[in-house]
Amino acid sequence: MKIPYSWLKEFIDTRLSPVQAQEALTMAGVEVSSCRFLGEGFDSVVTARILGMAPHPNAERLSLCKVTDGSTTFGIVCGAKNMKPGDAVALAKIGARLPNGMEIKKAKIRGQASEGMLCSEQELKLAETSAGIMVLPGDTVPGTPLADALGLSDWLLEVDITPNRGDCLSVLGVAREIASITGEKVVLPDVSFTEEGEPIGEWVRIAVSDPDLCPRYTARAVSGVTIVPSPDWMRRRLTLCGIRPINNIVDVTNYLLLEVGQPMHAFDLDRLRGPRIDVRAPKETLTFTTLDGSERKIDPGMLLIRDAEGPVAVAGVMGGANSEVVDGTTRVVFESAHFSPPSIRRTAKRLGLSSESSYRFERGVDPAGTVYAADRAVSLLSRFAAVTVARGVIDLGAGNVAPRTVPFRPERATRIMGKVYAPEACLEIFGRLGFPAEDHGTGTWSVTVPTYRFDIEREIDLVEEVARLSGYDAIPATYPESKAPEFSGDDRFLDIQERAFDFLRGRGFSQSVNFSFVASRTWERLGAFLGFDPADAVRLLNPISDETTLMRPHLLTGLLSNASDNVRRFVEDIRLYEAGKAFGKSYVEGHFEEPRLGVILCGKRLPGDWSGADAPADFFDMKGVVEPLLLHLCASPVHVVPTRLRPFFEEGKAADILRDGEVVGWFGAIRKELLASYELTGPVFYAEIRLLKATASPPPPGRYVPLPKFPPVFRDLACIFPTGVPVGDVLAMVREVSPEVDEAGVFDIFTGEKIGEGNKSVGIRVKLQSQDRTLTEAEVHSIHSKIVDLLENRFGGKIRTS
Amino acid sequence: MPGASEQIARLREEGMAAIAAARSESDLLDAKGRFFGKKGAVSAILKGVAALPVEERKAVGERANRARAELESAFDSRLAGIREKERHRSEGRERIDVTLPGRGPMPGHRHPVSQTMSDIISVFRRLGFSVQGGPDVETDYYNFEALNFPPEHPARDMQDTFYVESAAGDLVLRTHTSPVQIRTMERMKPPVRIIAPGTVYRSDSDITHSPMFHQVEGLAVDRDITMADLKGLLTEFCRMTFGPATPVRFRPSYFPFTEPSAEVDIRCVLCGGSGCRVCKESGWLEILGAGMVDPSVFGFVGYDPEEVAGFAFGMGVERIAMLRHGISDIRLFFENDIRFLSQF
Repeated sequence: MKIPYSWLKEFIDTRLSPVQAQEALTMAGVEVSSCRFLGEGFDSVVTARILGMAPHPNAERLSLCKVTDGSTTFGIVCGAKNMKPGDAVALAKIGARLPNGMEIKKAKIRGQASEGMLCSEQELKLAETSAGIMVLPGDTVPGTPLADALGLSDWLLEVDITPNRGDCLSVLGVAREIASITGEKVVLPDVSFTEEGEPIGEWVRIAVSDPDLCPRYTARAVSGVTIVPSPDWMRRRLTLCGIRPINNIVDVTNYLLLEVGQPMHAFDLDRLRGPRIDVRAPKETLTFTTLDGSERKIDPGMLLIRDAEGPVAVAGVMGGANSEVVDGTTRVVFESAHFSPPSIRRTAKRLGLSSESSYRFERGVDPAGTVYAADRAVSLLSRFAAVTVARGVIDLGAGNVAPRTVPFRPERATRIMGKVYAPEACLEIFGRLGFPAEDHGTGTWSVTVPTYRFDIEREIDLVEEVARLSGYDAIPATYPESKAPEFSGDDRFLDIQERAFDFLRGRGFSQSVNFSFVASRTWERLGAFLGFDPADAVRLLNPISDETTLMRPHLLTGLLSNASDNVRRFVEDIRLYEAGKAFGKSYVEGHFEEPRLGVILCGKRLPGDWSGADAPADFFDMKGVVEPLLLHLCASPVHVVPTRLRPFFEEGKAADILRDGEVVGWFGAIRKELLASYELTGPVFYAEIRLLKATASPPPPGRYVPLPKFPPVFRDLACIFPTGVPVGDVLAMVREVSPEVDEAGVFDIFTGEKIGEGNKSVGIRVKLQSQDRTLTEAEVHSIHSKIVDLLENRFGGKIRTS
Repeated sequence: MPGASEQIARLREEGMAAIAAARSESDLLDAKGRFFGKKGAVSAILKGVAALPVEERKAVGERANRARAELESAFDSRLAGIREKERHRSEGRERIDVTLPGRGPMPGHRHPVSQTMSDIISVFRRLGFSVQGGPDVETDYYNFEALNFPPEHPARDMQDTFYVESAAGDLVLRTHTSPVQIRTMERMKPPVRIIAPGTVYRSDSDITHSPMFHQVEGLAVDRDITMADLKGLLTEFCRMTFGPATPVRFRPSYFPFTEPSAEVDIRCVLCGGSGCRVCKESGWLEILGAGMVDPSVFGFVGYDPEEVAGFAFGMGVERIAMLRHGISDIRLFFENDIRFLSQF
């Protein structure tokens, strides 16, 4: 909310300068985000009167103006045409530096001296554009500093009010806040006026049928109204505060909204049927046109103001087109009411209609302030308009207003804040706040809270008042008593994740962070390859764009986009990983979310290598990252098996990773159709690991096995297999042949004509080792024969003899 | 033996010349053989000395021995010279260019948000906090209600919420990590001392707002926790994160789930307090929201506010990362441009 400092000064004669007020309010919890001098750039700009005008002898479009500031006459060359002799204008004298940065110097324009400049509103930054120079009201006194003439010798404070402090959404509220900081007194403006009309009850009858939703309803009425613009000073203040001036009646209600925080509504009394007003929520759905011209659907329970025949306003939110003040209006009813905050909020939300009025009612408007606001409105109006005020005020529900009393113990404040608050100090603060308090020393006090403070209901709320008004600076800085830290499962998970990050970093991978969303467009286009039914996706009800429609079922789409974007920027060797959650529906718990680790690899195997090993990365480069990574993280072996279940992978180049029989991840070559839609060429490899599953139940610490005391024996076997034989299985079986087989590995694989179509030659090296003896030639031979037997009879291999 | 002295002198001359002429180790060894070998010239002379008359034998013998010693020393130094040259030559052939890049990948880069989050976490873990996670898809109860946001309360407007399609209609994407406070307190009895890092979502997108971002939440509940403890802890945190001399200020604010509440500001890291665009001319930067756990929150989890007190705090990781690295557009974090990532 924007508040002119001069307006504040009308309510509190504070010793705080605008900048001091900014600092003090901010440090008391009412943040003033900016504090700006409005006359910035108006030094050396004064009002002046045009004495005479003559054409410029050397330029058709220019004229020579003689202007006076009341004491000196200036010759000014001017390009504008919208002024005439006698007009009051804004004169920037030599040396002025205008708000738009322009510096005024003595100049000769086409041979004629110009002793300053006549300014436009645009040059003064008072308007976005302007057609000519600024012409001031005729009664302007020449020689007045322009800032004074325009009421801009003032400061504008921009106050950010937290939702609990609805009471500060007004000049009065902020003035009260200053009073509670400085101890100065708030003085309410005089609201005297004479009541010369008939009793108000003869003009309009008012009833409140739903007092729960409208605890108090106050009204005053005036006649003899002429609808004209409101005075300049009022229009200026409204404009400064961001409200567009409309006419004298509407402006008065808006002025009161800003000044005391009471939203008011003005009805044209002669357009109210009855004339009567009933405050009541309908039992049936109906439609109603608000004064912004929109037809609104009103549901049962939304509070309405009705006249004898139907709705005339949505209570506290917006008036109706059928009863608003119009040009011919002569009699007006001012409504000044208190509506229940949740009811207004519900209605405003449901209608999608937030107004200055509903914004305040939602946050709480002082129920004790309705009469003052109504009086202030007619008092202001009668000061600048010849109106007749109806006698009396209608005030329904005044008995519903009672201040709250809240218990308070100074010791409680001390215990919560860690700073001693003496009873006297607390009493002094409550005094500044205007909270009458029964001081019971160190016992339980009873503090009376004014009706405008909706945020104070409990002792803790009073503790906060005491703490903030004695200043958070005064609170010491101590440390919580030290305790042995707990170590949670999530600590362990975080550590595992950090280890994964370190491992991948060491292998040249950088970390991505993508949104957890997938665009529905992506899914429509690629759904068949994503391996996840969109019906099983977690879906947002109010996405801000197509990009934020669905929650990602895996990390693939984000990393593929990253790869694609980087390739487009000429970064072609991609090594990225991301740790994040995957989401989906689950029939047991409604939805699931699971931490995953995605890894993507494409481009060269060894980027930047100069020794000729710059082959493109392949499947085994990815396997060579993923498998050691998992060993690094959980130290128990995993099994890699071919899979057909992942439609985002090329068939035959896809594997699942099993740990204790459970799928803990998968990797493979991204299928061509997906690559094409991400504008990627060349093979791209992707792995995704289910981090929790992959690292659950870590194996116990390794048990020591005595180191062998006897020499090992190595045997190499070259064997021709049909291509389809999985070498991993072969090696696993070889290791089982006898306890003496210590290791079995592959040292060579090739295919070619020599060994026949559909075959591959695999070189296997075994290491034989016994714990308790040196193996004899006969033993070695026997194991070797068993292996040969296995290779030939179990896997259809044929031993090659060199 | 007439002319023996002349013979020795000639032999010495010849020997010296041969040593000097030798270009390689084998040349030199050849020369050595010729002069010093069993059938070499030096041996012949020494043998001849034995045949000389006694009176001459001593003088000639001395001369011959001197010549031999001189030749041997010349030979040794020549040999050393040749070997040195040879070593140089072969080293030149085998020398490698040690300035070429090493084989294998250079390390990758940690994402600045992830790194910042990790640094924040480790500060609090050192101070005795343990880590707690929680779901991103939350219920209205945990995200709002139990945190003292009543259903029709304007405080709900503080956070633009994404709603999730669900049968019960009560799911949202968590707008803050604060629901973890509730989940933790429901599960544990005091003392509680946790931090909850995680992803949060708000339906807002511009240069400083992202629909997804990261927060770290903290909560401590115990018999005698005070706001002074909160102040001490967070002041220490700010100094560990932004430098030991960083001025820190606490000012009153509002969050539904803390009372009293505070906003924690640090002196603007860009302008040092004189006012700039980043701190909106205030000289201060908001870093954390914090406060004492509201008694109503304790009510939701069955803690007795007369028995225990607690503090909670939360901070946006992206904001801190932006300040640390001088990044002005939050969207850069989610583009994952390798040229950007490589800077950290």
